[in-house]
Amino acid sequence: MSEKKPKNIIWQMLELISYKKTSRPKTFILPEMDEQQSKQRQESNKRQESEQQQIPENRQQSKGRNQADEQAKDTSQIPGGQEQKHTQAMVVERAGQRRRIPKKPLAASEVKSARVEKDQVKTDVNSNLQVLRQAFHVPENKDLIIRDIILPNKKRGFLAFLDGMVNKIIINEYILRPLLEQEATSQSGNTKGIALEDIVLTNDTQSLKNINEVISEILKGNTAVYVDGLDYILICETIGFEKRGVETPKTEIVVKGPQEAFSENLRTNITLLRRIIRNRDLVTEFFEIGEKSSTVCAIVYLQGLVNPLVVREVKRRLENIKIDFVVSAGMLEELIEDNPYSLFPTILNTERPDRTAASIMEGRVAIILDGTPIVLIVPVTLNALMHSSEDAALKWHNTTALRMVRFCAFAIAILLPGFYLALTTYHHEMIPTELLIAIAKAKENVPFPTIIEVLLMELGFELIREAGIRIPGIVGNTLGIIGALILGEAAVSANIVSPVLIIIVALTGLSNFALPNYSLAFGVRILRFCFIFAGAVLGFFGLALAAVLLTLMLVNLKSFGVPFMSIVAPRTKRGKDIVLRWPLWMQEKRPDFLNPLDSQRQPEIARQWTQQDPE
Amino acid sequence: MLEAYALVTIVIITKIFYTFPLTTIKQTGTAAWYTTLISCVGAIVFFALLYLLLQRFPQKDLYQVFEAVLGKKVSRFIILIFSVYFLYYTGINLSEFVTILKIYSMPFTPKEVLVAGFLTVIAAMAYVGLEGIVRVAYVLFYLIITGLVLILILAIPFYDFNSLKPWLGYGLGVSASEGFLKISAYDSVIILAIIANSLQGLKYFKRIGLSCLLTAGAIFSICLACILAAFQYTAGSGYISGMYHLSRIIYYSRFFQRVEAIFLFVWVFASVIAISAVFYIALSSYCRVFSITNHRPLLWPFLFLTFAFTFLPSNIYEIISVHVRLIRGYSVFLIVPVPILVLLVSIIRGKKGGKASGT
Repeated sequence: MSEKKPKNIIWQMLELISYKKTSRPKTFILPEMDEQQSKQRQESNKRQESEQQQIPENRQQSKGRNQADEQAKDTSQIPGGQEQKHTQAMVVERAGQRRRIPKKPLAASEVKSARVEKDQVKTDVNSNLQVLRQAFHVPENKDLIIRDIILPNKKRGFLAFLDGMVNKIIINEYILRPLLEQEATSQSGNTKGIALEDIVLTNDTQSLKNINEVISEILKGNTAVYVDGLDYILICETIGFEKRGVETPKTEIVVKGPQEAFSENLRTNITLLRRIIRNRDLVTEFFEIGEKSSTVCAIVYLQGLVNPLVVREVKRRLENIKIDFVVSAGMLEELIEDNPYSLFPTILNTERPDRTAASIMEGRVAIILDGTPIVLIVPVTLNALMHSSEDAALKWHNTTALRMVRFCAFAIAILLPGFYLALTTYHHEMIPTELLIAIAKAKENVPFPTIIEVLLMELGFELIREAGIRIPGIVGNTLGIIGALILGEAAVSANIVSPVLIIIVALTGLSNFALPNYSLAFGVRILRFCFIFAGAVLGFFGLALAAVLLTLMLVNLKSFGVPFMSIVAPRTKRGKDIVLRWPLWMQEKRPDFLNPLDSQRQPEIARQWTQQDPE
Repeated sequence: MLEAYALVTIVIITKIFYTFPLTTIKQTGTAAWYTTLISCVGAIVFFALLYLLLQRFPQKDLYQVFEAVLGKKVSRFIILIFSVYFLYYTGINLSEFVTILKIYSMPFTPKEVLVAGFLTVIAAMAYVGLEGIVRVAYVLFYLIITGLVLILILAIPFYDFNSLKPWLGYGLGVSASEGFLKISAYDSVIILAIIANSLQGLKYFKRIGLSCLLTAGAIFSICLACILAAFQYTAGSGYISGMYHLSRIIYYSRFFQRVEAIFLFVWVFASVIAISAVFYIALSSYCRVFSITNHRPLLWPFLFLTFAFTFLPSNIYEIISVHVRLIRGYSVFLIVPVPILVLLVSIIRGKKGGKASGT
């Protein structure tokens, strides 16, 4: 070490008052203090190392694992995924806590191999038990059940599972019983030769050598089985927690068509889809989302039909979510959508398996999150949000007419109150004289300006709607209707609002309810207030400007790379089930804007019997 | 292709909602409806020359051609002049629109408020860029055309085509000279040449340009004929916005009358698209001159300048007699000759570049 050069007095003073970043993050100490402390640390390190050697081997291993985990967490949190220079961990004992002091950088491969080694399943019962107990915070945590067993060959073993997450009959009858009754394989005494998979009778087993994977499987509701001497833990499928059954849809009710809805169970939901699409190309891929919750999420698509770029994009987004906890489809939607600030949804939410299946068959991807009965479908366009689940069940002309009604409802729900306001405030000349007199008469005794009337009524309507949802059961709906009637009547009688306005607000509310998509209807509710403001300030001019802004917003939205206003902006090939619904037998092509690999839905002549002579 | 067609057509035809009918009828009398066709023919010739120029440099847009032919310094100077002109055009068009709006529909609203509201939307459009403007134009194109056609159809009971007589108006000479000057009403077709790289080749450039000019010519001619037929040239040359008056006279019963306010939507849609497109071209031209890759930081200064240009004329008379005369009359001496001169220079100096694409 070369000797330090003498520094001038100004430099030394500057150093004295300056702060220097130390190895401990978020703490700053004076340089002299740091030198003293580092000497103390080195001494205590030496003491610690000598003490460490005396700790029993299994305890040391588990601590080392924790440390490796900590290190793994540290490195995984580096932005951009770039690994910092790893330092050889030196352990310092300080009031039972451990902390790393940088000494000598390790190569990335060395760190990785060390970590892998520490995550390995050990070859003795005690060590593995210890690891599991520590991982699940036993004895504080009472949910982890560890059942010690002694096999007929006197080998010790254990079963570990989470109480309430498993089917105990499977454990008792198909894991415990065969294990305790097995003889043949244990006679050899060679523990490596025990084929546990052949003993337990569950339908799915996995041999895992990584303890973290074992923990993950236990969390899912599977059972870990270990016998002394083995270098792996056997995972048996025993998932069997309580769950809601398949029920009728709550928000997407149809008169004709299937009456099944998704439930909170991921597996059930996938089964519902598989029951509709019995195709070997239907692919399900799983992801874990939530650093703390490890919620399982599945994507379902039809291989060979869906645009691979869309699938890749969905996977990319799901794999790159760093969040502690995801519990609902809404949360996931917020994390993966293209434009989080948009008022309109760019992901379709549905609780209906038939609708999801139809979307998959068009070349879309379904995203199913465990624990939520709502499935996300991507990519979608505005037209898809205007479709209802019943569209496919009705005759084509009825569906087309209904869709026209929905588009009208969309316009009314956004524009009507603002239009009324602009009309009565700025453009009276447009109102026919008789109607103008009627409106004026009705408003004669109302003391408020029209804008206040409109806002009062809109706010009242929103309150009734929100209250109606919160009140449980059918009482909520009834109370909502009665509340609206009484409030409206009372407001008119008290000369707070004019009767015409009641009609306007009621029409707007009805139109809002006519929108088939819940999220879209929410966006429309907020937009309506923007249009009311625009109409109140600048009349039709303001409304027109707001309409241009809305159009601009819509044409710039994208859903997983697909423009939200596809078929109009940008212009793509017109499909036969996008705005208008043509007869089913004319719908030969899949939507062009989805770029499916197989764009042909059916042959040009779907009703081939028409080409045949009747017998 | 249709999106570019919609954009350029809207930019050209929006004038019909402003004082264009008034000035044309005032200058050419009953011949206004075919004077504009003379201008249209002139504009097609200009467009053909523009096409010939771009054909010599197939993979370049107009500004790149300027640079290839005239060199960096001269071309940048010309582009800067174009940018200033487009900015001025934006301001005057906005001023004209807002003044008409104030006269007919919102007399008590301060002009500043109307301009500020309008500029807010223009800022949003320009912020998003050409793709957003073009898509909005395409979505609203059908509404604008439907509105225009509806006005013309609903006013049929008031047409008397005898009012188009005398056929020669103030004389053929006047019609021809005014027709030449009014080529500038169609000169916005140059936008196509500026955004040529965004089109799918010269074949589409030619097709879109010709379609735009023919559509605009037809719309101008039909609208002027309808205004003349409804009001005669005497009243027609007195109304500040002939089309607004045409919508005002619509009367079918006591219930269906005075529906002009509803057509405000059409006018605002058309004006927003036209003005924001030209504003964006002004902005991007400026960026080209100084090699600025991101146009967004320049939005505020350009909006401020547009605001200033909007308040340059103090009244409608000044707008019509000075500024509109300048941008819809004498601008023909700026927009038209520059590309023609560049074409001549490129022919004389034998400059060509690139391989033909889509031709």
